[in-house]
Amino acid sequence: MSRVITGRLDATIRTMGRWKPREVWCAVAGAVSLALAVGAASTVAVPVSSDLGLVAVLPYPFWIGVLLLNIAFIVALRGDAAGPARRLVMLWLIVALVLVLFGTAAFVTDVPRGEVAFRHLGVADALTNSQGINPRIDAYFNWPAFFALLATVLQATGLDPIAVALWAPVLNMGLWLAALGVLVRYLTSDPRRRWLVLWIFCLGNWQDQDYLSPQAFGFFLYLVVVALIIGPLAARPSEFRGFRRADLAAWWRGRTPADPRPAHRVSALAVTLLLVTVICASHQLTPFMVLIALTALTLTGRLWPSRLPLITAVILGLWLAFPASTFLAGHPPLLDAGIPAALEANVVDRLSGSAGHVIVVQVRIVLTLVLWALAVAGAVRDWRSGRLDLRVVLLAVTPLLLFPVQLYGGEMLIRVSLFALPFIAFQACSVLLPTGGSTRPSFRAAGVLVLTGFLLAVLTVTGRFGNAQYDVFTDGEIAAVAAVQRFAPPGSAIISAAHPTPWRSEAYLEHRYRTIDDLCRNDLATATCGPLVYDYARRNPAGAVVLLTRSSKASLVLQGASSAGGLAELEAWLSSQDGVELAFGNADARAYRVTP
Amino acid sequence: MSGVSRPTVALGLAAVALSLVTLVGLPTPLQAAAAIAVLILLPGQALTRLTPVTDPTLGALLVLVLGLGALTAVSTAMFYLAVWSWQACVVTMGVTTVLACVARGRKEVAS
Repeated sequence: MSRVITGRLDATIRTMGRWKPREVWCAVAGAVSLALAVGAASTVAVPVSSDLGLVAVLPYPFWIGVLLLNIAFIVALRGDAAGPARRLVMLWLIVALVLVLFGTAAFVTDVPRGEVAFRHLGVADALTNSQGINPRIDAYFNWPAFFALLATVLQATGLDPIAVALWAPVLNMGLWLAALGVLVRYLTSDPRRRWLVLWIFCLGNWQDQDYLSPQAFGFFLYLVVVALIIGPLAARPSEFRGFRRADLAAWWRGRTPADPRPAHRVSALAVTLLLVTVICASHQLTPFMVLIALTALTLTGRLWPSRLPLITAVILGLWLAFPASTFLAGHPPLLDAGIPAALEANVVDRLSGSAGHVIVVQVRIVLTLVLWALAVAGAVRDWRSGRLDLRVVLLAVTPLLLFPVQLYGGEMLIRVSLFALPFIAFQACSVLLPTGGSTRPSFRAAGVLVLTGFLLAVLTVTGRFGNAQYDVFTDGEIAAVAAVQRFAPPGSAIISAAHPTPWRSEAYLEHRYRTIDDLCRNDLATATCGPLVYDYARRNPAGAVVLLTRSSKASLVLQGASSAGGLAELEAWLSSQDGVELAFGNADARAYRVTP
Repeated sequence: MSGVSRPTVALGLAAVALSLVTLVGLPTPLQAAAAIAVLILLPGQALTRLTPVTDPTLGALLVLVLGLGALTAVSTAMFYLAVWSWQACVVTMGVTTVLACVARGRKEVAS
């Protein structure tokens, strides 16, 4: 027996340096699929005309590339009796998937998608120019740490801010996957499961929170904190005997540290405290997710430094009480709490608009439900076989506690599903991989995995790029915004039709930025909205510029707030008023100067 | 008893040299590489070497996260104190790296 084992070990060591034909083919297939997807995406014309978004206009070679990539990954994952393909091949295939799924928009256009990345560049620019922090400006200046980092990096490197924003999704996914890769190593020793978790995490990531933002940075730090608390800072619980006080006390005292080396635990604790502080200074929501995760793991006896949740709560409380107090004084955090209000803002309000837009929203819901259903099935399977990891279940479920607490602009469900996703992906793997630990999947199981992966990719591309009609900007719109920022006098108001406007990346503090959508509180009929906008513009002492872009108008139409005819009528009315003159125009935008 | 290891000395010297080069200025791609090294990677590496982490994967992640975390803390503090400039951040991160290398060197000498 020992000779057989030694012989196998020798054979493994002999072949370790050599590439197997399967590995070579998988690597080549990854390169081909990447080339197909990039080539296909680069042929897409902007603006995107379909209300289904990019999914409707991506040519078929893109989908062939996605399918081929899934086949290559599953073949590499299946590997042979010794395990999956070598690490380099698996890493390369994941890099290819990240580029295909998260770099797609960057291959379509060289303008960053969405308004918010532009705004975040503007905050960093404002910090650079003012060289100080005024918390009265807005919420960003109450949680400024990410913008301070961004300002420093942009100024010191000399990189083009627009290019940084364009490639931020790929960079952020890389950071998230690096953290998740380490985290998963503490949860399982099965290499196939480790790789598949990363794959499913990419395929289920429709939330589109990886743009240049504090939440993307915060999520990276959150994943590192979780890796540390289930790694070097973890505790092994003793046997649970019951809820009597004596039993609970014995259970609590019986915990042992998972890492027996005190120096390792102390250094991991120091790193965790630094990260918690940075998270508290960077983003409103993420520290609460950290606190919930820490508390859940402590209460179940899975975290060794049991005072860590308390320390985190103190740091968070201090941040809210001092640096962020200006914002919180005017915005009570629990003002709009409650499950009915949360459901209204996060689900009902989003299920409106054009037929295509409603389909996109439904696809996002279906994708989330499919992943959660797979995770539940995986959890049941693990529970039956006595292998259910309570930590994974807790980390997947506890983010839901924040859902009814705050509406968060109707985005709480998106954030909650993102924070749960790594652990949902982990639990889903229990049902996607064979039961017997590191068993090689059969041909049939591999086929199911390929189909599941491809289906998830189609749903994610649909959900993620479903707003492409209004969040992918044209060069004409960028030129219009640049022109407006050039000729709008300091102190003037700049009024856009709606929020997807690529503005505020410069002169963040020089103008008052408003949208017609906000001014008219969603009643965009010309008779009521026109006078409101006109009066607001004329009352501003430095005047105003009304900017009407293709994308902002498309957003209002797609989401059912107005119609193309209604917006044309509103524009015609505004342009005929006294003191209003056309100052800039091209195929995708018009800007009207309004004198006070 | 042994002396300071070569990687520690190299890290400290690289931090000093790259800080100076970044402050003087280089063509864009080189400036970006030098600035990222001196602001994030070198401090991250120097701080990670102060921890007893032996797992290379966790170590690599710590380099990134400690570099980013420390730079974020330094930049934010400078903004609150109204003393921010990117040059001051470069100098501070360079000094942080050197100090971490000195601490590591003292441990190496003592061991």
